[in-house]
Amino acid sequence: MTLPLPRQAKQGRLIPARTGETLIRLILLSCAGIAIVTIFFILAFLIRDGYPVLSETGITSFLLGTEWNPTGYPVEKFGIVPLVAGTLCVTLGAMAIAVPLGIACAICVARLAPPAVRAVVKPAIELLAGIPSVVYGFFGLIVLTDWIRATFGVPSGESWLAGSIILGIMALPTIISVSEDALSCVPREFSEGSLALGATHWQTISRVIVPGALPGISAAVILGMGRAIGETMAVLMVTGNAAIVPSPLWNVLSPVRTLTGTLGIEMGEVATGSMHYHALFGVAVVLLVITLAVNLVATTIIGRLREQYAPGRPCGNAVPGSRRASLLSPEMRERAKIILLVAVLSLIGLPAAGIAGYAGCVFLFSLVALSWRRLSPRTTQKIAFFFISAATATVLLILAVILSDILVKGLPALSFEFLTEPPRDLGRSGGIFPAIVGTLYLVAGAIGFALPLGIGAAIYLSEYRAEGKLTKIVRTGTELLNGTPSIVFGLFGFAFLVLFLKFGVSLIAGQITLGLMILPTVIRTTEEALKGVPVSLREGSLALGATQWQTVSRVVIPPAVPGIVTGAILSIGRAAGETAPILFTAVVFSQRFLPDSPFSPVMALPYHLYILATNIPGAEANKYATAVVLLLLVILFYAIAIGIRTHYQKNTHW
Amino acid sequence: MSPDTIIATDRLNLWYGDTRALVDVSMEIPDRKVTALIGPSGCGKSTLIRCFNRMNDILPGCRIEGKVMYHGENIYDNGSDPVSLRRRIGMVFQKPNPFPKSIYENVAYGPRVHGIRDRRTLDSIVEESLRRAALWDEVRDRLSRSALSLSGGQQQRLCIARTLAVEPEVILMDEPCSALDPIATAKVEGLIDELKKQYCVIIVTHNMQQAARVSDYTGFMYLGRLIEFGGTTQIFESPRDELTENYITGRFG
Repeated sequence: MTLPLPRQAKQGRLIPARTGETLIRLILLSCAGIAIVTIFFILAFLIRDGYPVLSETGITSFLLGTEWNPTGYPVEKFGIVPLVAGTLCVTLGAMAIAVPLGIACAICVARLAPPAVRAVVKPAIELLAGIPSVVYGFFGLIVLTDWIRATFGVPSGESWLAGSIILGIMALPTIISVSEDALSCVPREFSEGSLALGATHWQTISRVIVPGALPGISAAVILGMGRAIGETMAVLMVTGNAAIVPSPLWNVLSPVRTLTGTLGIEMGEVATGSMHYHALFGVAVVLLVITLAVNLVATTIIGRLREQYAPGRPCGNAVPGSRRASLLSPEMRERAKIILLVAVLSLIGLPAAGIAGYAGCVFLFSLVALSWRRLSPRTTQKIAFFFISAATATVLLILAVILSDILVKGLPALSFEFLTEPPRDLGRSGGIFPAIVGTLYLVAGAIGFALPLGIGAAIYLSEYRAEGKLTKIVRTGTELLNGTPSIVFGLFGFAFLVLFLKFGVSLIAGQITLGLMILPTVIRTTEEALKGVPVSLREGSLALGATQWQTVSRVVIPPAVPGIVTGAILSIGRAAGETAPILFTAVVFSQRFLPDSPFSPVMALPYHLYILATNIPGAEANKYATAVVLLLLVILFYAIAIGIRTHYQKNTHW
Repeated sequence: MSPDTIIATDRLNLWYGDTRALVDVSMEIPDRKVTALIGPSGCGKSTLIRCFNRMNDILPGCRIEGKVMYHGENIYDNGSDPVSLRRRIGMVFQKPNPFPKSIYENVAYGPRVHGIRDRRTLDSIVEESLRRAALWDEVRDRLSRSALSLSGGQQQRLCIARTLAVEPEVILMDEPCSALDPIATAKVEGLIDELKKQYCVIIVTHNMQQAARVSDYTGFMYLGRLIEFGGTTQIFESPRDELTENYITGRFG
């Protein structure tokens, strides 16, 4: 019996790829190029609009000028030192809070917690990552600054401290999840080897597992820092925004203003083309350069790590811990460790006990640290585990406080009318219907823009290219785009879409800006999903004479769909909660009607909440109700995504 | 119990979840001898020696019944502490698992963990342990190099040196040569012969020739049961059980 195949296919010459295949390849390639092109475009447009301030005021007086006073008379002052100082202060403070808490929590989740506890903590941390920044800002403005004002007896709680606490909380999920990955990656043989020598659990963790995971943990810290530097809305709402260098320098109660905050506040009110306008783009360039540098460092570390743990590859000499081994003598290391320990442990005490308890904590921890060497391993283990559990409990407590405050005060204010009516009296009464619809429009457009591009890029990267220079460049571009602050996307959207392409402040400008922002997430999650499909399936298909595209479209993509969908929904959640990218590109505060064309502006939930919280006195009930709607909407997206992921993780066995 | 018995098990049973991995294992292991455990894959050899230093404790879903007596004391008693137990019963794993630290730090890890800080003491422990593991001459001039730069056989001898540095009484070896080439295997086997002068060595092996070469006593396990235990010569030349005979003559396994 002969198979019903066309004879030509069996007897013809071996023809190279058909035109269809080539076309698809080209389309996918151009998708993959978009990330790189976007990064270049963003840089080019920011520099184009920022250049005049450098040529006019001079690069030194811009970078080293100590006064920022863009509306000064008779002379405007554009010195960014106070802004950079503000960003540094707030970020360092945030790291002081988030690093010890985050690493302790990661150790707990990765190595100590029983499965039941892990099942609570992991989703809680993802939830923490999902809360929109404007909601953090709202919570910080209403609850945290008030608490600081009352506790320290200062006229206003809007301060460096408030900014650091909020940013610290926001950096936690990044630090925890990346460190946890690194800690879990340390092979089990290491811990077994250590335990078999009679080391305690804590000795094993502190001397083998943490040093083994150190590159990953440092990447986690750097990524968290990048997130903190680039954050706009939450910081802007709680730091008081006075463009001054804190005096004295350690005065954590002084108001400060960050680079991002400056952009968020002043960009909306500036005359296009003025020197002030150019100065703001100059600020954006500085901000972008800082975050790009930070993220480049983190990506390099993570890239090395991947190579190191890549299966089938001998680990070689490139293990960082081993090189450092000979740098410090053991005695010096002991001493350094004690100092570090005092610093780390006392910083855990900071958010909990406040400054008053701080001195006490330092004293106590110094005592512990001094007697540390004399304690038995079992006692040190008990103390260490106590602090680790305390840190984990603190993280959970923070989440509980934020959620309960907003839900308890916001849920009673919800009503059918609130969801279905336009706002009245500047949002003090009436509803938020146009804002809900506006947000849905924005999100739909963003995902419609980013999904095809992102999936195409991911398919090209994972299926059409062996790892090489091009994939490396594209991947780096994607990572950099991922680390770009959302406010920078906003500025780019404003300069390019609103002004240059003359879209005006419009729905479509907002959609594209948001789309660019979520593109990296879509690319990365899709790529991961595709990589999860075993090579043997592809080989099986190719061995039957299927073309590359046939293999990809019929064999590789179908099992990857749940992963791709999860990534898409996570991106939707993120886009729905973002404020900074749409601030100057798409939104207006009040609009009675729904947008009638892609070129008219819209209302959006996060922006509505921002204005209600900062500019409209007497909108108490509606503020909380808006926050609840936004929070629930975003959490809903995240919950769906997590649900899909766990469902398919359980049911797919290769 | 004979006077030179160091470890004795009494009706030891172990479950992984619902799977019963050890069934009523009772045996007596003599001190300063090499005891080999042989048997087909999945028969419970590794599980059994992991009971001796309570490494199974860290596996989720693992449940143990019965007794493991060490110097006449049940190591699974409530008050018994696995950490101090593991200082006295060391273990070498199937795959060499040096820490990603320098050669020196790998050997010094155990003593450090147990509170030795004096540099000179550590130096001499490291040298002595590496000598006893027959590795000193190969690594003496590169102690600060990463342990991962060593070859597989060297890594395994480093792991043995690391175990010796804690000065245990018993050394458990879980298929220590299965990841090594024949030359490295010969070195490790020679080492085991040296070690039994001072230590009790219990070795799990897949390789019957190896068991015959290195051990004084041999236990044959099958499906979680200890089928036969006795002097190595007796087991290999005149096994009492039919299963044992079938296995060592290569009729299954």
